Amino acid sequence: MRPQPQPGSQASNYKRSWRNLLINKSYQLKFTLMMVGVSTVLMVGLGVWVMKVANETTEVSIASVRGTPCVAIPSIGDDELDEAPTDDPAAATSGTRSKPSPSPSPSPSPSPTPAPAEAVGSAGSAGSAGSVTDAGSDDRHHGVVMEESTMELVPEPAPAIIVPPDYGHKVVSHWSCERAIAAKIDDLESGRRRILFVLIGTGLLLVLGLAAYGIKMTHKVAGPLFKVGLYLQKMRDGRFDKVWNLRKGDQLVDFYEHFKLAHAGVVQMQKDDISRMKAVIAAAETAGAGEHATVQELRDLIARKEKALE
Amino acid sequence: MSDPTAATPPSAFVRTRHKRKLSNYLLDKKLQLRYVLIVTILSGIIAGALGFMIYQQRRAASLSIEKDLQALTDKDTTQSELQEQISGTLASGDHALVYKMVGVGIGLVVVLTLYLLIMTHKVAGPLFKVSMYFDKMAVGKLGKVTALRQGDMLQDFYASFQEMHEAVRKRAQDDLASMDAALETIRRSGTHPAGVSPPAIDHADYRGEARGRLEDALDGLATHLANRKAALVDFPPRA
Repeated sequence: MRPQPQPGSQASNYKRSWRNLLINKSYQLKFTLMMVGVSTVLMVGLGVWVMKVANETTEVSIASVRGTPCVAIPSIGDDELDEAPTDDPAAATSGTRSKPSPSPSPSPSPSPTPAPAEAVGSAGSAGSAGSVTDAGSDDRHHGVVMEESTMELVPEPAPAIIVPPDYGHKVVSHWSCERAIAAKIDDLESGRRRILFVLIGTGLLLVLGLAAYGIKMTHKVAGPLFKVGLYLQKMRDGRFDKVWNLRKGDQLVDFYEHFKLAHAGVVQMQKDDISRMKAVIAAAETAGAGEHATVQELRDLIARKEKALE
Repeated sequence: MSDPTAATPPSAFVRTRHKRKLSNYLLDKKLQLRYVLIVTILSGIIAGALGFMIYQQRRAASLSIEKDLQALTDKDTTQSELQEQISGTLASGDHALVYKMVGVGIGLVVVLTLYLLIMTHKVAGPLFKVSMYFDKMAVGKLGKVTALRQGDMLQDFYASFQEMHEAVRKRAQDDLASMDAALETIRRSGTHPAGVSPPAIDHADYRGEARGRLEDALDGLATHLANRKAALVDFPPRA
């Protein structure tokens, strides 16, 4: 219970304290919770709608950004590959040219079939040492036996790799574009996250702010009501002592003025009663009836009323 | 005007209906509008900030699409009409979003304002009623008080007021009865109150001055009691 000002003290001495913020829990919490509850419901509805729009918008933006064409990186030697296709299927698939063997095969395996007749004549020019077996003059088939043969393979020269003059520029452009797209997507995602965080932050701020404001504002109403309530208890018990002013910043100043007028009216009623009874007692005393039991009752009544006004 | 009772003429005490009326919702403008304005302004600012952010996001998406379309039409001029059409659709979509947000914002403010008006009315109503009874008490009228309406707040406070009012009324009635009884006793005994011998009075008041003063005092008390009785009559019922 809040202390009451002593007679003669200043009403402004009674400062607000956070411990007394919830003077009238029922009224203050009910009012504040209902206010915060409705605001929260409205803000959650708004937030859901905002996030829906934000998600749609972000998806559209990301799809649009992903569709941005970037300069392609040209492959080196594509033309050569086209002009001289390789027999190597793996190389063809990979698009890379197979390197020729730097050294010839030292001993190619001899052909399993006999060399044709034209080769017979050239066998000697190849420097091979061989012998022709004359099986007989009437034998139409001659057998050629190659006892030794050599063949020198000249390696094919490596093809020249042609690099386009703007190759580096295109590579840089390509990756710059890719990085820009990635950065833009990140920006869009962070924009969506920012909206979400701002939404949550403002929602919490609204709830906490409204709760604090609601309790503080209702306290400014509950404070005067608490004070009036204390006076009402006194009046109920038959005590009509002095009414003090409200604290600075309190609301319900006009209501409090009404209460003070009512209090003054009740006090005036008591005073009127007292003055009327005193007049009767004085007249009775003059008439010699001052000791009458009824007059004594009136004196007791006056004493009780005067005590109530102290 | 923030005075709840000053806004109401005395005839309001005999109003025909006791129900809530739209025109009576602002009983205490100062108290009610302060709540309403602060809460709605706060909510409006938050809703506006969210709206601005979502508009920014939406506009960025539209600009991105428009940019892509521009790149497309730069290569193929036959698509320029399509680009204009899509750009127009996007712009109108952005405007529609702004209108929607403004509509939602106004709706939010209106709903909050109405809700807070009702809530604060449920506080201002009991205060208004108690203020009226206080005004009656100020002129000595102590008729019976009636209960609050259903849904009103400050029920505890009002119960406390009712207890006080009833106690003061009861005490006033008891005092009135005591004074009335004393008046009647003294009047009945006339100039010969019990325990006082007539010769003593006659001797002391041979010119009748004291008796006359006593009669005057008793008449004054009788008038006073009559007025007090009139003030204790129940308030006129609501027709």
